[in-house]
Amino acid sequence: MAVHLDCGPVARSADSLEPPAATSEPIARANPAAKLLVALLMPLVLVLSVDVVTAGTAVALELLALPWCGVSARQLRERLRWVVLAALPAALLTAVFGGQDGTTVAGLGPVVVTSGSLVAGAAVMLRILAIALPGVVLVATTDPTDLADALAQVLRLPHRFVLSALAALRLLGILAQEWQVLTYARRARGLGGERGLARVRLVGGQVFALLVLAIRRATVLATAMEARGFGVQRRRTWSRPSRFDLGDLVLLAGGLGLAAIATAAGVLAGTWQLILA
Amino acid sequence: MTSNDTRPAAGSPARTPRDAAWAWRLSPAQGIGVAIAVALGIAVYLVGLPSDVVWFGTPLSDITVAVALGVALLGVAIVGASAARGAWRVVDIVVASVLGVAGGLVFALWDLAWPGISTAVQPPASAIFVGVWLFPAVLGGLVIRRPGAAVYTELIAAFVEALAGPNPWGFATVWYGVVEGLGAEAVFALLLYRAFGAVAAVGAGIGAGVAVGVMDSLIYYPEVLGTAGRLGYVGLAVVSGAVIAGVGMWLLTRALAATGALAPLASGRAARRV
Amino acid sequence: MTRLQAGPVAAPVPVTVRARGWGWRYAARRAWAVRGLDLDIEAGERVLLLGASGAGKSTLLAGLAGLLDSGSGRPDQGTGDEEGELLLDGVPARRARREGVTEGVARTGLLLQDPQAQTVLSRAGDDVAFGLENHAVPPQEIWPRVDAALRAVAFPYARSHPTSQLSGGERQRLALAGVLALRPGLLLLDEPTAMLDRAGAELLRHHVATAVLAGSDRGDGAVARGATMVLVEHRVEPWLPLIDRIVVLEREGGVIADGPPREVLERHGDRLAREGVWLPRRPPAPRIPPPDAADDRAGPLMSAHGLAVTRAGIPVVTGVDLTLRPGRVTCLVGPNGVGKSTLALALAGLVPPAGGELTATPRLADGADPRPYRWRPRQLVTRIGTVFQDPQHQFVAGTVAAELTVGPRQAGIAQPQIAARAADLLARLRLDRLAQANPFTLSGGEQRRLSVATALATRPRVLVLDEPTFGQDARTWVELAELLGELLADGTAMVVATHDEDLIRVMVSSGRGDVLQLGQAAATDSVTAVS
Repeated sequence: MAVHLDCGPVARSADSLEPPAATSEPIARANPAAKLLVALLMPLVLVLSVDVVTAGTAVALELLALPWCGVSARQLRERLRWVVLAALPAALLTAVFGGQDGTTVAGLGPVVVTSGSLVAGAAVMLRILAIALPGVVLVATTDPTDLADALAQVLRLPHRFVLSALAALRLLGILAQEWQVLTYARRARGLGGERGLARVRLVGGQVFALLVLAIRRATVLATAMEARGFGVQRRRTWSRPSRFDLGDLVLLAGGLGLAAIATAAGVLAGTWQLILA
Repeated sequence: MTSNDTRPAAGSPARTPRDAAWAWRLSPAQGIGVAIAVALGIAVYLVGLPSDVVWFGTPLSDITVAVALGVALLGVAIVGASAARGAWRVVDIVVASVLGVAGGLVFALWDLAWPGISTAVQPPASAIFVGVWLFPAVLGGLVIRRPGAAVYTELIAAFVEALAGPNPWGFATVWYGVVEGLGAEAVFALLLYRAFGAVAAVGAGIGAGVAVGVMDSLIYYPEVLGTAGRLGYVGLAVVSGAVIAGVGMWLLTRALAATGALAPLASGRAARRV
Repeated sequence: MTRLQAGPVAAPVPVTVRARGWGWRYAARRAWAVRGLDLDIEAGERVLLLGASGAGKSTLLAGLAGLLDSGSGRPDQGTGDEEGELLLDGVPARRARREGVTEGVARTGLLLQDPQAQTVLSRAGDDVAFGLENHAVPPQEIWPRVDAALRAVAFPYARSHPTSQLSGGERQRLALAGVLALRPGLLLLDEPTAMLDRAGAELLRHHVATAVLAGSDRGDGAVARGATMVLVEHRVEPWLPLIDRIVVLEREGGVIADGPPREVLERHGDRLAREGVWLPRRPPAPRIPPPDAADDRAGPLMSAHGLAVTRAGIPVVTGVDLTLRPGRVTCLVGPNGVGKSTLALALAGLVPPAGGELTATPRLADGADPRPYRWRPRQLVTRIGTVFQDPQHQFVAGTVAAELTVGPRQAGIAQPQIAARAADLLARLRLDRLAQANPFTLSGGEQRRLSVATALATRPRVLVLDEPTFGQDARTWVELAELLGELLADGTAMVVATHDEDLIRVMVSSGRGDVLQLGQAAATDSVTAVS
C-alpha cells in the first residue's frame, strides 16, 4: 500500500500555477504588480483590528468588485472552500473562548459563549476572508511568468532572484511527479503500509530523497541558466514588456481605498480597536 | 541522473582547519562598528528612557535594559551583515529558490492538516507546532551560507504557500514569512555569517521562534491570551523553533551534505576532500 | 555529406580554442579532473572528445563554456582550482563569456544531456528568448530570432506551447534552438542524445549538422566554416560523418590521442573499447547463456489478458496479452512516450491496471492474492523486483551495505541470511569497495549496479527493468547485459522496457527474448505480440 496523503486540494491548487484561461475582465488583465500590491498591502491595514464592521465592510466591498475580476465561479468556490475550512478553527476558538461581555448564550462550566464572543468569532472569520480574497483573484488570473516579469520590470526587484524563483517554481510540477515515482519505488522495495512512527519515518525518508533530487536538479538548472548568459550582468532586455499604466494605478488606489473605507467604517461605528493595545 | 563520469563529493559540512583560521578575524572597520554598537547600547542604559511615555501599558523606563540590549545587538547584526562573505552566485540563488519552493509545498501540505490540529490543540499549546513554519529560513541559511539566505528562502516558501496552498491567510503569509526569516537571519548576522554549526542552527531557530511567537500572540490570538498566555506562547514557539527548525535542520543539512548534493555550494566546499 | 543549405539563423563567427597546461580540480576533491591539457582547435573544426568515464570531458566542456570559476583566490566564490590557461580567440574562457554577454553575442553554446534539466521557462518561445534577454539583445530583435531558431530545429509547435507537454526529443530540440538563437561561435555538446530514442537522436543530429554546416555552402566559391564544435558522446558511429578530428583524453591527465577519426579509431580502437566507447563496426557482444530444456518445463509465472494501463487518466496502452516464463525476457519496445514505463510498472504490481487482467500463477503468488497490485509491499518484494529508470529513486538507506538489507528485512528473512546475501551481492556486482559509501555519491554505473543488487536481494522470481541501459557506456552495458543473462539462466522471468536496439537484438538472438511492440497501430494503442 503506497503512502497515501490526500494531496488533492494541493494538486488542484497547483493547477493554479498553470496559465489561467484568457479573460477580458479589466481587473484580470491588470498588471500583476498592481494585483500583488493590493493582495499584499490590504492585509497590513485590515489586520490591525478584529471587528465585525471593518471586516464585514471589506468583504462586502470586495464581493462587489468581484464581477470585474474575471474569476470563474468554480475557482472561487474551490479556493474559498478551503479558506473557510481552515479559518473555522480560529473563528470557533474565538467564539468559544473570547470571553467578551454581552448576554450569555450558552455556558458549560468554564466555557462561556456570549453574544459578544460570537460576534468576535464572526469578525475573525470575516477578516480572514477579507484578507484572502485579493490573493485568490491574483492567483486565479495571473500567469506566473507574467508575474515574474512584473516583479522585475515594474517593481525593479533583482532579476536574478525573480527569474530563479520562476524557474524553481516550474520544477515544482516535476518534483510532484518524482514524488509519485518515489512512492512506487518504496512499494517495490517492500516499504509501505506501516502505521504510526514507522510511517512517519518512511514519509520522512521519502521527503529527504525528494529534497536530494530537488537540489541536484537545482544545480544542473543553475548550470543550464548560466550557460545561456544568466547572471553575468545587471543589464538585461525583456521580450515580454510589463507596463504599469493608469488602469493599474486605479486598481491599486481602489484596493487601498477599500481598506481605508472599511477601517473608517469601523472607526465610525466605534468598534475599531488596535490589536496591539 | 548522475553521469557515468565523476562521483559527487561527499562529506560533512564541518569546518576545515583552513576555515577556522580566518573565521573570527574582523577587519578594523568591522571592529570599530562592533565597538560603536556596544557603546550605543551602554549609552542607552546609562541615560535611561523617559518614564512618562507609555507603550502597550508599560512605561518605557521599565524596559530600558531590554532596549539597550536590543540596540547593541542590532548594531552588531548590521556589522555582521556587512562583514558577510561574498555575493550570491547563480547556483546559490537557484538552490535557495528550490529549497524555498519545496518548503512552500510542505507548507501547503501542512496547511491541509492544520485545521484538524488547531482544533484539537488550543493556543498557547498550539505554539509547539509553529516550528514547521520556520524550517525553510534555517535550512536556507545553513545550506547557502550567504547574507539574506534565511529571509529569501522563507520568503519564497511563504509566497509559494500563498500561491498554491489552501491556506486561510492569503498573501498575509508573505509578511509573516519575511519577519520569520528576519528572526533567523538576525542570528546568522550576529554570528557574522561564519558559524553554521549546531549552535547557529538552534540560535536561528530561536530567533525565528521569537518572531513568530510575538506576531502570533499579538495578531492572531489577541482576544484569547492574557499576558501569561502570550508569554507561554512565545516560550513554546521558541522551543519549537529551536527543536524543529534548529536541531532538525542542522541534522538535515548534515545528511544532505553526506549525499554529495551540496558540493557546488558553500556548505559543501567546507567538506573534507574526497 | 549532402549539401545542406545555410540555415535561416545567420552564420556565427567560428572561434579558435587554445589550451596550454590547463587543469581543473573541483572543490572538496583530491584528484584533478583534467591536468596538463594542451590542445589547439581551429576555427570551424568539428572535434569529438573521447575517453574513459571520469576522464574530464564534461569538465573541459564546462571550462570552454566559461562556467568554471576558480574564484580568483576567494574560496567562497569559486567552485574549484584552476591551472594553466584556456583561451577562446585569445581570451580566457571565463572572460570571453562575460564579454560575450556584454556585447550581445554568445561565444559559446552548451547543450547538456538531460532534456528536462535545461528547460527554464514554461512556454517554448519564452524559453528560447531567455538566452537572448540575458545577452541584452534589443527587444525588437528578440522574437524574430526566436522564430528563426525554432524553424531551424523544425519545432512542431507554436511559441506558446507549454514546455511541460514536450517529449524528450522535442525538449532537446527546444534547448538546441535556445542555444542556436545566440549564434555561438563554439558549439559544445555534452552527450546530447544519451537520453533520446533513435528517432529523437537522429533528428537532433540532423539539426546540429544543419546549424554547424551553415555557411559552408556560400555558392560564390568561398568556403566559410560554420561554428566550431566540440562533442562528447559515447555512441560514435552516427556522428562520424560530421567529425573532422577525434581527441582522446585520459583521466587526471591530458590528451593521449589526436587525429583524423579513422586513424584514431584504428590505432586506439582496443583501448577505447576497453574504456567503454561504442566503436563503429564493433557491436557489443555480451555472453548470454542460451535456453535449455529445463526452462521449457517450468510453468509460467504471470500472465496478462487484454491488459490496459492509463497515465494521468488517459489510456496509453490497451489490449496487452503476454505470459512471463522463467528464463525468458519480454522486451517492451517502442519510442519514448508510448507507455512502456507505465506498462512495466503495471506488470510490476505497482500501478493497478485500468482494464483487462493481470494474474500471477500460484507458483509466483505462493498463497497470496493472484492479482499483484493487491499484494502488500512485503509480499511484493519477494515475488517481483523492480529496477527503475533513475536509480536514485530507489535509494532508502544511508550506505550501500544498508541498502542491501532493507528488502530482506521487510521480507522477514533471518538476520544471518541477510548478511550472507548482502555480502554475496556486493562481491558479485563489484560494490564491496563501496559498502560504506552513501548511495547518492556513487557514479552512474555504480548506482545502476546497486539498484539491480537491491532488487535481487530478496531473490524475486520476476524482475522488471525500466530502461536499464540508459546513458551507459559500452563496458557497463556489456556488464549489465551479461548479468541479465546470468539471471535468466537462473530461471528469473524478466520484463525490460527499452528503446535500446542493441539490447533487444542481443536478447532476441540469444533465444530468450520475446518482443512486444507498442504504439504500432495507427489510431488505437493496441498491441501486437511478436516472438
